[in-house]
Amino acid sequence: MKPQRVIPAVLLLALAGSYAFASEGVPWGHKDHLTQFKYLAESEIYTQDTWAELLPDLQDKELREAVEPAQQRLEAVQAYYEAAMAEWDSAQLRDYAARTTEEDLKTVRLWLGNAKAAAFANKLALVRAKLEKASEEGLTDAEAAALAPHLTDEAIAGLRSMKYAAAQQAQVSGSFKKHEVPKEVANAAIKNVSGALSGNVSANIAKVFDGNTATGDAGAVRLGEKYALPKGTVRGAVAGVSAQLGKQVSNSAASALGANQPRATVATTVKSAPPAALAGANPPQAKSSAWTSDAYGFTVTANGRTQTYRDQAQAEAAIRALPDGSVSKIVLYGHGSPGMQTVGPATYDSDSTAELLRGKMARGGVIQFSGCNTASIGGSTLNPAVGLSMITRRLLYFSLPYFQDRADGVPAAQAKEQWDKGWNADLARDTSRGVKGAVVCGYRTFGLVPGRLPGLTRLMGNQEATTPGYVAGKIACYQDGREVAAP
Amino acid sequence: MNDLSAILEIILLLGIPFVPIAVGVLLRRKFVPAAAGGEPLTTGQKLGRLAGNILLWGGIAGILFMIVVVLNFKGVI
Repeated sequence: MKPQRVIPAVLLLALAGSYAFASEGVPWGHKDHLTQFKYLAESEIYTQDTWAELLPDLQDKELREAVEPAQQRLEAVQAYYEAAMAEWDSAQLRDYAARTTEEDLKTVRLWLGNAKAAAFANKLALVRAKLEKASEEGLTDAEAAALAPHLTDEAIAGLRSMKYAAAQQAQVSGSFKKHEVPKEVANAAIKNVSGALSGNVSANIAKVFDGNTATGDAGAVRLGEKYALPKGTVRGAVAGVSAQLGKQVSNSAASALGANQPRATVATTVKSAPPAALAGANPPQAKSSAWTSDAYGFTVTANGRTQTYRDQAQAEAAIRALPDGSVSKIVLYGHGSPGMQTVGPATYDSDSTAELLRGKMARGGVIQFSGCNTASIGGSTLNPAVGLSMITRRLLYFSLPYFQDRADGVPAAQAKEQWDKGWNADLARDTSRGVKGAVVCGYRTFGLVPGRLPGLTRLMGNQEATTPGYVAGKIACYQDGREVAAP
Repeated sequence: MNDLSAILEIILLLGIPFVPIAVGVLLRRKFVPAAAGGEPLTTGQKLGRLAGNILLWGGIAGILFMIVVVLNFKGVI
């Protein structure tokens, strides 16, 4: 081999070798990046297999980007766990028992480990069992003591009085058991005093039992039917016959059932709501078998959570539902052209993007247009690839439409004026003027995404990816119309 | 006049990627490796041939790049 060919060959081999050594992949679940891997696993962005297929550079990028949301997610789960392991009052008891799902336990297991998940599961199982038993059989002293580490004294007292309260409720509503006083006898006993009862008393006690706001008016009494007296009358009678009993019933039922608190208060004091699951926000991507890419989507990061969408209506509804100032990053991934970006069938220009995101972006939040030519070409460059991209942009977005217009009979001056303005439009800059404070980024060039290459996209199984991964292109960012460094 | 300038611009723009190819071919022809037994190339000649190779293959890569970009524009990739 001649010397002048040996040198480049050796250089090339050295370059390839050094690249390979420098970019060693990170194994799935590596302990140095455990939090990020938990986040990636929970959000179903990757599995062990799809992770292994990623290039080392992409793995590094994904891990870097996952640091912040993973940390926020970890903190949210820790806060949820700490609240769940604290002593519950009556309202929290009912709420945790009713709303905690297997998914919540899985989330705790993933983020905080088996031991904590088991502790939470044991507490939940114990409390649920005692809650059920309390209303049917009551609680023994030993059972109440077993609940002491998990519930407040008030909640335990409420549980202990549940049986009595339930019996009272059943008696009033007419569902007698074989050992209880038949309703005909009760009706006969109270019939004589019902008329003297205050409407307010009967209404209140009715509300305590079942939320019924009946006032206790007798209305038309139709004897001979199954229920000799209307329910409201019976309730009023019970309340009137024994004020003490009524008070006791009210207290016990209220503490056990939580009915003594206004609903709004209950809602604000209950803390069992787990951090919203990430998995539901990222539905499994449809596995296409196509050889070409159909990748597009919305990726929204708000309050430390990242959600991706393919559907425009779903994405826009989710964005509009977010609180103002909560979006730290949004990526619109699809095809771009000067002044415009598509995300699947949806099309956005600077006005529609600003309208969608105005007020939603956090200060310094990033709006990323991941589409070709979504920023202007910028100044001169020595990079030949950028130069070729500029040439192609001019050909495709000025020359081609100009001659199409001319063929359609549009006057030359008019066509020239129109496309001279349009070919170098800057979507990112124009959008940044409409979304004050946000950093809006776009590409000055055609952005080439390796994962979109026909065939390769099939091999990678990402035909319907919602995020672009690595993009080869020159990026430009603006804030309030002024160019700023890319975040 | 507008049409003519637009046509000239297209020719110029389309021609740009071929310029390095043409220069590369010229340099490669100018600095042909010595035949067996002939005088070896000087360092300057070797550099000239290397520059020719870079321009030739860079130009070809540029045209391929533009084709990829057009395919991207057409929505194929």
